[in-house]
Amino acid sequence: MKPWQEAYEKRYKAAKERGRSFFPYAVFKDALVALIVFGVLSYLAIHFGAKLEELADPTDTTYNPRPEWYFLFLFQALKAFPGSLESVAAVVLPGAAILLLIAVPFMDSGPLRHPLNRPFWTALGIFAAGGVATLTFFGLRSPLLNPTQERNPQVMAGKRLFSELNCAYCHRINGKGGKVGPDLAAVAGTRSDDWLKAHFRNPKAVSPGSVMPKLNLLPEEIDDLTAYVQSLGTGGPYSPEAPKLFAADCEVCHTMHGKGADIGPDLSHIGAARERGFIKNYIMNPANTKPDSIMPSFKGQLTGLQIEDLTRYLAHQR
Amino acid sequence: MSASNDGGPRGWLYERTGVDRVWDALFARKVPEAQGWVSWLYTLGSATLFVFVLQAVTGTLLAMNYVPSPDHAYDSVRYINTSVVMGHYLRGLHHWGASAMVVLVGLHMLRTYFMGAYKYPREGTWMIGVLLLVVVIGFGFTGYLLPWDQKAYWATMVGTNIAGQTPFIGPYLKKIFRGGPEMGAATMTRFYALHVLVLPAIVGALIMGHLFLVVWHGISEPPTRAADADAEKEPGR
Amino acid sequence: MAQDRPGEVSRKTFLGIVTGGIVAAIGAVVGATGLAYFASPAFKSESEDWVDIGPASAIKHGVPTKVDFTQRRRDAWDVIEQRSSAWVVTSNGADFTAFDPRCTHLGCPYRWDADKKEFLCPCHGGVFNEQGQVVAGPPPRPLDRYFVKVEKGRLLIRPLVKRAIA
Repeated sequence: MKPWQEAYEKRYKAAKERGRSFFPYAVFKDALVALIVFGVLSYLAIHFGAKLEELADPTDTTYNPRPEWYFLFLFQALKAFPGSLESVAAVVLPGAAILLLIAVPFMDSGPLRHPLNRPFWTALGIFAAGGVATLTFFGLRSPLLNPTQERNPQVMAGKRLFSELNCAYCHRINGKGGKVGPDLAAVAGTRSDDWLKAHFRNPKAVSPGSVMPKLNLLPEEIDDLTAYVQSLGTGGPYSPEAPKLFAADCEVCHTMHGKGADIGPDLSHIGAARERGFIKNYIMNPANTKPDSIMPSFKGQLTGLQIEDLTRYLAHQR
Repeated sequence: MSASNDGGPRGWLYERTGVDRVWDALFARKVPEAQGWVSWLYTLGSATLFVFVLQAVTGTLLAMNYVPSPDHAYDSVRYINTSVVMGHYLRGLHHWGASAMVVLVGLHMLRTYFMGAYKYPREGTWMIGVLLLVVVIGFGFTGYLLPWDQKAYWATMVGTNIAGQTPFIGPYLKKIFRGGPEMGAATMTRFYALHVLVLPAIVGALIMGHLFLVVWHGISEPPTRAADADAEKEPGR
Repeated sequence: MAQDRPGEVSRKTFLGIVTGGIVAAIGAVVGATGLAYFASPAFKSESEDWVDIGPASAIKHGVPTKVDFTQRRRDAWDVIEQRSSAWVVTSNGADFTAFDPRCTHLGCPYRWDADKKEFLCPCHGGVFNEQGQVVAGPPPRPLDRYFVKVEKGRLLIRPLVKRAIA
C-alpha cells in the first residue's frame, strides 16, 4: 500500500467516525427519493401508459424505425459516418467507450478527487456527457422521413381477421381476391353498420340464399370486421355542395379531371390510392401526415360536416 | 449481541439467525456525512436499486400473461393493456421504469465520475458499475422487442443489423442474435429468455458484488479541496 | 448510540418511523396492485354467449342424443374454435335437458346404453339414469347440466355454465 493510500484510509476512517448511522439518516433520504421516483413512474404509467403500436409488419415500407431514446445518440452518430466506416461508429466506438470507462480508475489513479483538481478528467466527462446529450437532442429533433399514418385500431383488427378467416377466398377488394361473393369495396358504404353486423352474425338472416357460412364470430370481432369493411368504401354519398367546396378551396392548388392548378398533386384518382381515413386526416392537418407539406390545415377553416363531405367526394374519385 | 439475551421471541430469532448483526453491519454502520444538496446525490444508487426491484416485480407479473411468440405476443400484450385488472398500470410502470433505470444509472455514474469516487480503494465497485450499465442497456434492448409491434420489430431489425457490422464476426453475431437468418419466432424466444432468465441472473450477481463492495469499503466521502491538499503533502505518490 | 447529541434520539426514532412508513406505503401499493392483477381471474364473471347447436327437431323423443358443436370463443388473448358436445334429452320435444358429456366422478366421457336405458361411464363404473341421477358407482352428484333454450326451432346452449341439480 502506498503511503497516500494509507493516509486516505486513515482520513476516511476519521470521516466515518464523525459521520452518522446509515439508518435512518441516509436511508430516510433514499426512501424519500424512492417515493418520489415511484410517484413519477406511477403518474407516467397511468397518464401516458405504455404505447402499443400496430402489429409488426415486415412488409411495411412506410414505417419510420426509431430506437428507444437512450439509443438515439448512437442512431444519430451513425448518420455522420460513411457506409464503409459504419462499423466504427456502430460497434468499435461504443465498445471502446465501455472499455475506456472500465479503465478510468487506472488511468486517473492519483489521490486527488475534487473535480477542479482533475481538470483533464472533468473536462473529458463534461465533453462526453454533453456529446451524448447533444446527439440525443438532435436525434429527437430529426424529422420522420415517411409520413406517419394514423390508422384506426379497430379497422386494423378487422383487416387481420379478414386475412385470418380467409375472406379473400370468396371476396375481392377493388378487384383483388375471389369471385364467389361481392366486391367489398363496392358494397361498403351502401349498407348500414347494423346491416353488416346482422350479416356477420348470420348471413342468411339478412341475405336469404347467401352461400356465405355462419362464422360464429364474437361480438367484438363483428365490430372490427364492420369497421374494416366500412373503411374500404367511400363513407357514403357526398352532397352536391362537395364539388363546389373543392372548386372553391382546393382547385387553387390541385387538379381534378383536368381542371385546377398543379401546385399540389392531381387528385382525379385519389380514392383508389388512399383510404378514406387517410384523406380526412390529411385535409384536417397535412403536417401530421407529411411534415414538409405546404398545404394549409383545414381544421377550423371548414366545419366537421364539410370536411366529411369533401372526404367522401375525394374517396369517390377512383 | 446485547439484544440476543432478552429472552423474548426477538432474542430467540437473533440467536438463531444473527439478523441483528446483519442489521448492525448493513444499516447501523456509520457513514461519512455529506452536507446540503450534495447529500441527495448519494440517493441515486439506491433509487436505481429501487427501480430495479420494481422492474423485477412488474416484469414477473407481466410474464404471467405474456407469450413470446410472433403469433401471440402482440395480442397478449394488448390483453394485458386492455383486459387484465391493473395490467395497464403495471405495463406502464415496467415501460417507464426501463427509461428510469437508464436515467438513474446514468446520473449515478456521473456523480461517481465527477466526485472521483472510483478511486482507491473503490476501483472494483466502479468496474462492476460499468458492467451493470451494459446489462441495463441489454435489458432495454431485449425488452424492446417483446411486444412485437412495429416499433419493436423495426428497432430490433436495426439493432441486430448494427451487431452485424462488427468487424469479422458480425455476420455470425447477427444470426446468433436473431436465432436464424431472419427475425421471427426464434428471435423472440431468444430475447425473452435473455430478458427474463439470463440477464436477471447476471444483474443479480453484479448487484450483490456492487453492494458488498459499497458496504465493505464504506460509501465515499464528498471530495474537498482541503482533503486533496492534505493528500498532496503525502510523500511517495 | 453513546455519541448522539441531545434531542437526537427522538429525531432518529422519528426518521426511522417515517422511513419505515414510506417503505411500507410503496410496498402496500405495489403489493395490492400485484395481488389484484394476479388474483383477478378469480373474480372475473364468466360471460358466455348462447351457442346454436342445431335444430331442435333433430332430437328424438326419449332417446338421449349426443350433439357435437363448434364454439368460437375468447381464450384470454386468443380466439379459439373449440369442438365440444352435449347429451341432449327431451321427452316431449318442448322441454330439453343438456348434460355436460363428462362424468361427475373424474371427468371421463360416458355413453348412452340404449338397451339398459342408462348412461355408463367406462372408467369406474358410474351409472346415471335418463334424468342424470346417479344409479350406481362412485359419482358424487348427478350429471352437470348446461343452460338450454329453444328459439325459432333452434337449440341454444351455454356450454360453460353448469348447474348441478340434486
